[in-house]
Amino acid sequence: MSHAIALYLHVPFCRRKCNYCSFISYEYREADIPAYVSALKGELVRRARGERVRSIYFGGGTPNLLSIKQIADILATVGSLYIVEETAEITIEANPGLANMAYLTAIRELGVNRLSLGVQSLNDAELALLGRIHTAAEAREAVRFARGSGFDNLSVDLIYGLPGQTLGDWRKTLDEAIALEPEHLSLYSLTLETDTPIWRAIEEDSLPDIDPDLSADQYELAEDLLAAPSYGHYEISNWARKGQECRHNLAYWQNLPYLGVGVAAHSYLDGHRFANTRSLDKYLADFSEKLPPVLDLDEEISPGLQLAETVILGLRLGEGIDINNIKNRFGIDILTHYNRPVEEMADAGLLEQIDGHIKLTRRGQLLSNEVFWRFLPG
Amino acid sequence: MTPASTLVATLAVRDNKSYMEQALTRNFCIIAHIDHGKSTLADRLIELTGTLGREEIGEQVLDSMELERERGITIKAKAVRLNYEAKDGNTYRLNLIDTPGHVDFSYEVSRTLAACEGAVLVIDATQGIQAQTLANTYLAMEHDLEVIPVINKIDLPGSEPERVLEEIKNVLGYTSPDVLLISAKTGQGVPRLLEEIVRRIPPPAGDAHLPLRALIFDSHYDVYRGVIAYLRVVDGRISRGDNLRLIGQDTEMEVLEVGYFAPEPRPAPELLAGEVGYIATGLKSVEECRVGDTVTSVSHGAAEPLIGYYPPKPMVFAGIYPTQAEDYKELREAIEKLNLNDASLTYEPESSPILGHGFRCGFLGLLHLDIVRERLEREFYLSLVVTVPGVSFIITRTSGQKTTVVNPSDFPVPAEIAKIEEPWVKISVITPSSFIGSLMELITQSEGVYKHTEYLGHTKSTGEFGQRVRLEYELPLRSMLTTFYDQLKSRSRGYASLDYEFIGYREAKLVKLDVLVNDVPVDAFSRIVPPERAHDVGKAMVAKLKEVIPRQLFRVPIQAAVGSRIVAREDISAKRKDVLAKCYGGDITRKRKLLEKQKEGKKKMKSIGRVEVPKEAFLDVLKLG
Repeated sequence: MSHAIALYLHVPFCRRKCNYCSFISYEYREADIPAYVSALKGELVRRARGERVRSIYFGGGTPNLLSIKQIADILATVGSLYIVEETAEITIEANPGLANMAYLTAIRELGVNRLSLGVQSLNDAELALLGRIHTAAEAREAVRFARGSGFDNLSVDLIYGLPGQTLGDWRKTLDEAIALEPEHLSLYSLTLETDTPIWRAIEEDSLPDIDPDLSADQYELAEDLLAAPSYGHYEISNWARKGQECRHNLAYWQNLPYLGVGVAAHSYLDGHRFANTRSLDKYLADFSEKLPPVLDLDEEISPGLQLAETVILGLRLGEGIDINNIKNRFGIDILTHYNRPVEEMADAGLLEQIDGHIKLTRRGQLLSNEVFWRFLPG
Repeated sequence: MTPASTLVATLAVRDNKSYMEQALTRNFCIIAHIDHGKSTLADRLIELTGTLGREEIGEQVLDSMELERERGITIKAKAVRLNYEAKDGNTYRLNLIDTPGHVDFSYEVSRTLAACEGAVLVIDATQGIQAQTLANTYLAMEHDLEVIPVINKIDLPGSEPERVLEEIKNVLGYTSPDVLLISAKTGQGVPRLLEEIVRRIPPPAGDAHLPLRALIFDSHYDVYRGVIAYLRVVDGRISRGDNLRLIGQDTEMEVLEVGYFAPEPRPAPELLAGEVGYIATGLKSVEECRVGDTVTSVSHGAAEPLIGYYPPKPMVFAGIYPTQAEDYKELREAIEKLNLNDASLTYEPESSPILGHGFRCGFLGLLHLDIVRERLEREFYLSLVVTVPGVSFIITRTSGQKTTVVNPSDFPVPAEIAKIEEPWVKISVITPSSFIGSLMELITQSEGVYKHTEYLGHTKSTGEFGQRVRLEYELPLRSMLTTFYDQLKSRSRGYASLDYEFIGYREAKLVKLDVLVNDVPVDAFSRIVPPERAHDVGKAMVAKLKEVIPRQLFRVPIQAAVGSRIVAREDISAKRKDVLAKCYGGDITRKRKLLEKQKEGKKKMKSIGRVEVPKEAFLDVLKLG
């Protein structure tokens, strides 16, 4: 029996595009949501092979732009085509500006058992800079709604390394987020994507440059602050209470199979990575013409590359990679096979070997790209 | 009676064809600053004498190299024969010999002048006399040439012939009726210039019955016929099949072809005393047949050369390396090819731990370096790294042994040096007076020694900046090699012009400044500087390196040192953050592609003492003045 898969459903709609965002999501296209839900269900039918599903993840975009009925509809479709495990983690990402008690209560009742709130900051000036549609107060209220509607697995996303954001600003947001007692926290360093408004503002000098050393300080501060309330730092950007690590995302990092449906969704099945078209119009048109969604990417991952990807993704995890696990999965002794990068990175103080595992050091987490590229083949 | 017509009368009595032809020959060149209209005037002369029609001329005839046309510089001298029917009814043979317009080629200019009896001095009516023009005019006067000054571009709205006339009178002593006003573009005044050339420039002296003596004023390599030498026959005659010898270089050759240019090469039975033309020699390299040498016959030849022959010595040196190591062979072949036609370009293989294998090349000057670099890039499609140019030092060691050092990394340690000598130049700068203060400051900072100031008078174009002044200084050539000319231009808003000539070697107090990256000396960055400048130069270099070297996984000290003494230091702190945060919707491929790009980037880096440095970083610092 093959692995159960992780199922990702992409919802490429937003009320408004955030200033830093280069993800595939469309603003002013909410009228297309009903057609999109049909197409999404169509793709689910087309791709289904009766697999077991260990997690379902509604990502976006802004998945809570879908109505309760649309969520119910999609989940019913999934249930009819796949074997959704009893223990399956079902997550929905939600914009706090569009979350209310009735809605959250309804989707909780539909079986959604994990809520990931895009809080990003608890400072209104920073939220405005990011172009978020909600205030800090609305974010706090969304957390209250989540608790009130029965979500006991709540994740909060925060962004640091903002232009002009001081270490003190970040500490305040972090302290306040910790006070909300989420089970899970994802902390992302702002990545400047070309042609986003925030990138342009920095290019034009209307916003200050991002100081990478300050971002590093902010990351280390977060590590220190989150250690005290006993969050586990289980992945470079993710912290969780024990047992509440995100199962869905763990599938990516453990390099396990997943199926993504919807615009620009990525899949990794049978040694192939493939991705649907990034164009909403093309995706809808393909569905109405009864065609499978056109692919933007389809590559076969060679065994050598599978090994490298497994190592690179696994090193993102707090526990690192299990030497025995790699031996069982690939028949390779990682210490021999990757002798050079392992030694070089250990000498540089970026990797360490503990209890049969190889993992990034505290410094290595912040310099992980420097470690990772050395494991690429060729 | 003019001197020319007297000679015609005298020689006519002898009833000798060659003497008749000699009396009707005029050999002359054009002296002009860049863009003052030399090539346009040459075209007009060619057109008005009927040598070519206007539509045949098209592009300017004399500047045949693409680069020359773009830069407005004539690099290689050439000669054109024009037949001109003068008002006196005689048909004259005018040999127009092209001169290089830039100071780097002053040796070639002087050889060209030696092949002429006259020169047309072209001065732009909107700009006045420029420093190099002045230098070349003095050179023409030293060679006893008849100079015909012309003020060109009188058709332009901004032209000020009266002011320029005044300047010519003040500086060169020529007055109104002797100075012609022309527009080479429209042809205005050019017919009169032709008459003046015939009237004022004397016919060549020399005797066709004496043993052969001919001066080589240019040469180029032709794949089919070997070296083509351009020459002026002074005495005797050259025919096809003659066996000739070069007095200076003691090269022997057989004449495969004789001819002249009109303007394309035309074979002729012979070249007689007073004539200008070419010979095909079959020689394999221009190095065997260099400009300035005298040609004579193998048997019963002349003993004495026409003028002292010496090959021009390279003054400026730089390392030239291929950006990609695998292009070394192509670079070598390209330099060898250029050298076939440019004997003053010297090259020797050298290697550097950072730059790999390349050549230490010698040039006549900075422009020569620029031209060679551009030709290598443009004609041979090479991507190059050119190191900071330097001069050749003569170093006397404590042992008494003398060596010439052209590469800073070959500098001996201070304890072994008894004496250092370096080349000095005399510079002449012509500038509007407003900029004198700033320019004097620049020249003084560049170790210049003041000699002389001369006031040239006003022109309208520079009117608001005061009258034009000529400054004369002496300074080490070393100080002129990097940013001097650019600064001269920017400090004078582009008005100043510069000329320089080599005046000899002088003793110098200099030290070698080394740069250490992570405690490893990098020879490509070594500089020779006066001890009192070591700190400033070192500081600028380490600051620049700090800016261009990306942060590493460890702290990297960058130091500048003279011997074991550190004169400047900067530290590049260790990199702290290089992380991809969000794994968006399982897009592992994008992440991997970014890492692959990072890996590719690392491959392109050069590594010194564990420090990985992008090649561009080196280039930036090498370019630093």
